[in-house]
Amino acid sequence: MSAPPAPGAAIAIVGVVAAVAIGFAVLCLVILAQSATVRYLPKWGWALIICLSIPWGGIVFLILGPVRGMPAVTAEYPKPPEPAARPPATQSSRRPGTSAAEIEVRGLTKHYGEVIAVDGLSFVVKPGHVTGFLGPNGAGKTTTMRVILGLAAPTAGTALIGGRRYAEITRPLREVGSLLDANAVHGARTAQVHLRAIARSNGIGQRRVTEVLELTGLEAVAGRRIGAFSLGMKQRLGIAAALLGDPGVLIFDEPVNGLDPEGVRWIRQLLRALAGEGRTVLVSSHLMSEIAQAADRLVIIGRGRLLADTTTEQFVASNARRDVLVLSPGSSDLAGVLVARGATVTPEDGGRLAVSGMESAAIGDLAAEHGIAVHELVPRHASLEDAYLDLTSASTDYRAGQAEPASQAVAQ
Amino acid sequence: MTAQRAGAGRPAAGSAAARARDTLAFEWIKLRSVRSYAWTLAIAAVVTIGLTAFLAHTVSAAPHSPGGGPLSSPVISFLAYAEYGVLPVSILGALAFTSEFGTGLISTTFTAVPRRWAVVAAKAAVVGAVTLLAGEILAFASFWLTQAILAAHHRGVSLAHPGVLRGVLSAGLLMAVCAVTGLGLGAIIRHTAGAIAATVAVIYLLAALCLSLPSPWKADIGRFTLAFAAYQLVTLHPQAGLFSPLVSLLVLLAWPALALVVAAVLVSRRDA
Repeated sequence: MSAPPAPGAAIAIVGVVAAVAIGFAVLCLVILAQSATVRYLPKWGWALIICLSIPWGGIVFLILGPVRGMPAVTAEYPKPPEPAARPPATQSSRRPGTSAAEIEVRGLTKHYGEVIAVDGLSFVVKPGHVTGFLGPNGAGKTTTMRVILGLAAPTAGTALIGGRRYAEITRPLREVGSLLDANAVHGARTAQVHLRAIARSNGIGQRRVTEVLELTGLEAVAGRRIGAFSLGMKQRLGIAAALLGDPGVLIFDEPVNGLDPEGVRWIRQLLRALAGEGRTVLVSSHLMSEIAQAADRLVIIGRGRLLADTTTEQFVASNARRDVLVLSPGSSDLAGVLVARGATVTPEDGGRLAVSGMESAAIGDLAAEHGIAVHELVPRHASLEDAYLDLTSASTDYRAGQAEPASQAVAQ
Repeated sequence: MTAQRAGAGRPAAGSAAARARDTLAFEWIKLRSVRSYAWTLAIAAVVTIGLTAFLAHTVSAAPHSPGGGPLSSPVISFLAYAEYGVLPVSILGALAFTSEFGTGLISTTFTAVPRRWAVVAAKAAVVGAVTLLAGEILAFASFWLTQAILAAHHRGVSLAHPGVLRGVLSAGLLMAVCAVTGLGLGAIIRHTAGAIAATVAVIYLLAALCLSLPSPWKADIGRFTLAFAAYQLVTLHPQAGLFSPLVSLLVLLAWPALALVVAAVLVSRRDA
């Protein structure tokens, strides 16, 4: 094989040898346990015992097989080429305008021993929108999603989908599609069989498996083992699985992780297309930049608490600082003129003025009108990412012992 | 198998029967699609048939021993070896759960089928059915192979001999019992290595410990172990101090049943 030796191949070989040795030892003990047998052991007896020991090496594969990135499996199959992403067409039977269920989280609290992962969290995810679920790592996003999906039991509070707990839904995959961890697959199965098994569990036909494989651009690698997939391809496989039941509610945990820029764009288009069909779409991310372009609503949490529940537009308007830094020899005169026209003026270092509520062109015109010289006129933008970082770092500050919850200032 | 037939004529509505069939089919596809599970059955077949043939050859070469001992009853000796074929099969059972916990696939399984006890039941049914079928085939194959070798030395017994059929059927059942016990322990322990260790302990170590006890306790406590119960079922001459074959059958079935009930309760209560 021309493939480079996999790093874990040596471990696998040692494992197989160990298993054969254990098998040999077990068989010897069996023989010796009945001491009468040993006396009548034929000449070829020991050769037979050694032969019988060999299949025990297979046990190593049984135990190592499900372990992620099993080298013996991936080395055998070269990575299939990354399939081209195609523009999303969800091939849905869903009629545009039909409204899907809401996700309603009320007073959700989840403790893991001493650790409070989610703390009194409440929000509603509406159909027809992509809702970005944002927070730094460890903010409680995944825990919240696991509670919504019935995988973890809440310590207090409820998480309902269309007014029901997830566990009460008869055919859950037909109503709620989810992707939590793209790596949570058995590497020995092919993509096709993986999807076929999941489809069968909810009585979903085989035609739909083919449809979602085409939709996610995986049809060319459908017969390949998942163990040979890149993370990006596993993400697509996870999305394919989520779409199997053509569900009205979709929950994706960090679906952009591991995707190349084209894959990221594909996901954004897909998310918008899904929401455009009237579905409820909840997508988590720890990066604002990943999600701001796709999400029209934002639920931002930090340390398990709600920091903001708003539209992306509102969040931009209220949080993204935009001002103009002005340096003028007649700064006090200029400040008076600007304030009179409704701008907000704050003095900054070096005699500069930070002017907000007025564009730089208007400031320049106004200064010229009043004969005030202007030496510098610098528009400043604080990005959405900065606003988000300000917001989430505030939650950390609060936890560190500030008296006043900083989150109240921005929560809508 | 049942799962394949279930594809046709499935009601669209989520009736209880349709859901049960779908859950069974789900588990059947998962079991069938991982080659390493077929490996375990192959290992069980090689170990069981190879050892029984080997022993039959050894027994046929040995002189008659009027004083008893393991060689005096050819049926016992061959069936005793079937016990060692159950180890790979129990590993198969444990892996049916631990491989899903290990990879995180269990989350997908439980979102697809939120009634977790139904997942435990479906896995047990599929693994139990496959290993029972494999076990019975192996038991009868071993029996006929052994008897073919022994018959050449006029030491064989026929299937019609009292107790022989029961013994052969029980040896096959033992495979399924061990596999389902392993499956239950896999769900309880969730880690492959721990589950295999626990399964080995339940199948072999408990009996070995009881054998080392002083005399009255050896039988009084030992008769509740899986291995003693299996011995009473496969032997031609059940021992007096132990349970009757019928009660032993109940003991044999109680082990996987207990493991499954504990597994279903724990799996339903714990976070996945």
